[in-house]
Amino acid sequence: MAQAPRFTGQRIRRVEDPRFLTGRGRYLADLEPLGTLAVAFLRSPHAHARIRRLDVTPALQVSGVAAVVTGADLTEANIYCAGLGGQPYPPLAVDEVLYVGHPLVAVVARSRAQAEDAIDAVVVEYEPLPAVVDPVEALAEGAPRVFSQAESNLCFHLEHTPEGLDALFAEAACVVRGTFRHQRQTAVPMETRGILAQYEPVSSRLQVYASSQWGHGLRDGLAKALGLPQSKVQVTLPDVGGGFGAKYGVYPEDVVVAWLALKLGRPVKWVSDRLEAMVSDFHARDSIHIAEGAFAKDGTFLAIRDHMISPAGAYLLDGSAAVLETVIASLVLPGPYKVQAVGFRIDGALTNTTPLGTYRGVWGPAATWVQESLMERAASELGLDRVQMRLHNMVRKEEFPYASCTGVVYDPGSYQESLQTAMEAIDYPGFLKRQREARAQGRYLGLGIAAFVEPTSLGAWQPEPPTVPYESAVVRMEPGGEVVVQVSVNSHGQGHETTIAQLVADALSVDIGKVTVRFGDTAAAPYGGGTFGSRSITVGGGAALEAAGRLRDKILAIGAHLLEAAPEDVELRDGTVAVKGVPARSLSLAEIGRVAHWVPAKMPSGMEMGLEASSRYVPPPITFSNGCHAAEVEVDPKTGRVRIQRYVVVEDCGVMVNPTIVEGQIIGGVAQGVGAAFLEELGYGEDGQPWATTLMDYHLPSVTDVPRVECLHLETPSAVPGGMKGMGESAMVASPAALVLAVEDALSPLGVRFERMPLTPERVWQAMTATRS
Amino acid sequence: MKPAPFQYVVPESLEEVMDILGQHGAEAKVLAGGQSLMPLLNMRLARPAVLVDINRLPGLDQIAVEDTAVEIPCLVRQRAAERSPIVAEELPLLREALRHVAHPQIRNRGTICGSIAHADPAAELALVLVALEGEVVAVGRGGERRIPANAFFRGIFTTALEADEVIRSVRIPRRRFSGQAFREFSPRAGDFALVAVAVALDVDPQGRVQTARVAVAAGSDVPARLTEVEARLQGAQAGAEAVKAAAAQAREAVQAGSDAHASEAYRRHLTEVLTEEALLAAMATTGGNVA
Repeated sequence: MAQAPRFTGQRIRRVEDPRFLTGRGRYLADLEPLGTLAVAFLRSPHAHARIRRLDVTPALQVSGVAAVVTGADLTEANIYCAGLGGQPYPPLAVDEVLYVGHPLVAVVARSRAQAEDAIDAVVVEYEPLPAVVDPVEALAEGAPRVFSQAESNLCFHLEHTPEGLDALFAEAACVVRGTFRHQRQTAVPMETRGILAQYEPVSSRLQVYASSQWGHGLRDGLAKALGLPQSKVQVTLPDVGGGFGAKYGVYPEDVVVAWLALKLGRPVKWVSDRLEAMVSDFHARDSIHIAEGAFAKDGTFLAIRDHMISPAGAYLLDGSAAVLETVIASLVLPGPYKVQAVGFRIDGALTNTTPLGTYRGVWGPAATWVQESLMERAASELGLDRVQMRLHNMVRKEEFPYASCTGVVYDPGSYQESLQTAMEAIDYPGFLKRQREARAQGRYLGLGIAAFVEPTSLGAWQPEPPTVPYESAVVRMEPGGEVVVQVSVNSHGQGHETTIAQLVADALSVDIGKVTVRFGDTAAAPYGGGTFGSRSITVGGGAALEAAGRLRDKILAIGAHLLEAAPEDVELRDGTVAVKGVPARSLSLAEIGRVAHWVPAKMPSGMEMGLEASSRYVPPPITFSNGCHAAEVEVDPKTGRVRIQRYVVVEDCGVMVNPTIVEGQIIGGVAQGVGAAFLEELGYGEDGQPWATTLMDYHLPSVTDVPRVECLHLETPSAVPGGMKGMGESAMVASPAALVLAVEDALSPLGVRFERMPLTPERVWQAMTATRS
Repeated sequence: MKPAPFQYVVPESLEEVMDILGQHGAEAKVLAGGQSLMPLLNMRLARPAVLVDINRLPGLDQIAVEDTAVEIPCLVRQRAAERSPIVAEELPLLREALRHVAHPQIRNRGTICGSIAHADPAAELALVLVALEGEVVAVGRGGERRIPANAFFRGIFTTALEADEVIRSVRIPRRRFSGQAFREFSPRAGDFALVAVAVALDVDPQGRVQTARVAVAAGSDVPARLTEVEARLQGAQAGAEAVKAAAAQAREAVQAGSDAHASEAYRRHLTEVLTEEALLAAMATTGGNVA
């Protein structure tokens, strides 16, 4: 780089915020082309039922109704959604409904209210069938089957017992066990899902607007489902108000709306309301880990066994938590610790519940809870200090790159240092004293520690990667010297318009105000995997940096040519190309832009006109960030209510482009972790009826539930251009474990262990009561 | 989440309201602050044919002090009551309870009478009305009647109000207690309470409890006074011992419900905890003499 970075690493205010904070964001629901029709879905009130009779004719009589379609209409037209491995499933239920919320009829009308009136008029007779909700019951002999023609509900199975695993357990001085049930949740982005599709007859093209994390993926999926060439489908993403994994993929509603737009030749729009969001957005997590850890007498962590069971819902989707959460867990269960062997068994079960998908931190909250609980329990059993025991087992600085027994390779990090930093920040010795004093007064103080690794920025992590292994950027300088960057990653809150501009402004030595970052339109943005798995700043930013570097080289070559200097003798500095040490001999970027776009005769011979460079950046297979959370809590023994007194996060995500945005990610992740640990649960009754279908019942953390988060940073640069590591999910990954373990620590005089989240006051009270009596 | 079609009328006098209700009966619903009714409409759980918006009725938004009672008419917003000097002076228990009702944005619109009419069994305001022996002034074509709080709440979302009646106001006796307190436990700030307890006491100069009111909402159909607990407290020396015994008795006496949010056992336990806290707090405000 020609000069020290001016913007990278700085707390630059987000350039998108004035728009959002003044109500000028433009979301899917704001788009209303002339003649737009609204869609509403009839959803099953039963967990499992045969559709005895379906009569839509009364709905067609309702004022304003343009069309009513059923599952049969779609299958007759050969329209299907794709589940895991492309396995087709009907977008609207046919013959049977399989979960509460399963859509079976779509109505199109002039207004959403009229569409809902028509939904009311549809006549359905259901014959209830036995439903199955619990995954263990679903896999038991004789369980009701979600698909009657299937042999069983088992939809995914994987197991691995490495050589020597049993011997490690047999010889271990200490084996600790536990059952860990992570409840079902859903991401609840503030903006619900939505899609608007419009057929453009002149260009015979389907124009789609959607609230999505991945425009190209939605385009590909819709083109496949509708049998259209990819070039005839354009997806444009407006501002997206949060996704957290719930907007990654192609949903049945997307396919139905796009098909209706083709069929009707009118703009057709569906915006999910919160009631349907709670039963139709991907549900997430929901896994049982029956785990054990083997330890040597000195505390050395030897091996892990984990049997993971997950209820996938009625369909096994591409991003199903039943597969992704568990398979990734099997790879990173040891976390920051050295373990000699990990054995696992994964069973996914179809159930009469909403299908599982992705939510921020896929794999992490449950696996980190397992990993840190095994460590805590072993420390307590062996009578060792839990901090010393963690330090003893962590991968040390000189051991990187570290090949884990699971086959993944950890790039350099600061595992021990982050734990030590967190313990200093929370004053570990002082805490132990406070805890003793409090106990003498009958008060319950606890400290929870969660050291974590976060596998981010997936590249070619498998020989045939199931996700796009790269991201792209095109960096272009206009004749006037302004820079436009098109990237394949999309922002749904992450602040790409700011962070990627910071990187490119420094790479080209221009003011950040000269750089505009664009994304979200498949007709303009280069192909890529979109925003998932903490990849935007590393893979997307890496591509932007590479492309900007190529453009910088070209600018320097043109500048050197015009200045009649050797390319190595010129430099980019403050928007000019100058001969090193001779600032008077310089050219403005505007002058170089003019020449590059208008004056072939002045260009170096053989050089292409224009100022544009692109990159498709394939990062290392996995880039690991790491860190440590420490939570101090006090439990009210009267009510079981937990108060979070202090919360410390040490995060090492390599080079930080914008510490304010990094901290925003951390605080948001801790907030969601508070939800997981204490509040949120999508429970089902045995009959398959969901308990939480509104935000009155699904308790998201509010401002009074979230602690002040003290953020500390370490920086171990990665191999990615710029040295960044992904970090969008780590706080969600580590915080539930830190909080649950803090409560267990507080209640350690009572020997309380929790088997399931969330730790509601009642569950804490029950656990205390049970151990007291 | 769009309501089923309804006819919307905006009467300008109570007489007009009564005519409309008389004509449509149970098919009509009265809209005041809308904080409960609008979600019910949007979820199509309520499908009235006629929505009677009373927000433009004149002269019904001021709290009045009469000789024996404070009158709170049907357009007094919860936030206005919370900030009212009359409520602060005359009804400190109501003021304390109002701070637990949802969030300020909701209290800005929601009315006192609307919450009473809605009769959510977990609602703070219904509990206070029962504790303070208030009454509901209902008007209909048949005239005006005053219904005591303990006869007004009949069940979950069910009241003694006839289909053609509207609540004109609630009246709460001007009755100074030497101490009162409101306590509740909810999953998050602003949520409906799992258990709420309202107490009001008179303690004589010798520190003996002269009268005690203990009302609890614990997930059963209606908020209720715990008369056995009140009787036990009466004449007892105010203090930790009496409170402990009363709280333990409240745990047994309370009608506690069980649902997805809390079990009956936990609600009984919370009743004991909150009754103890509320009684101690109420005694602490009596100006000493607490043993």
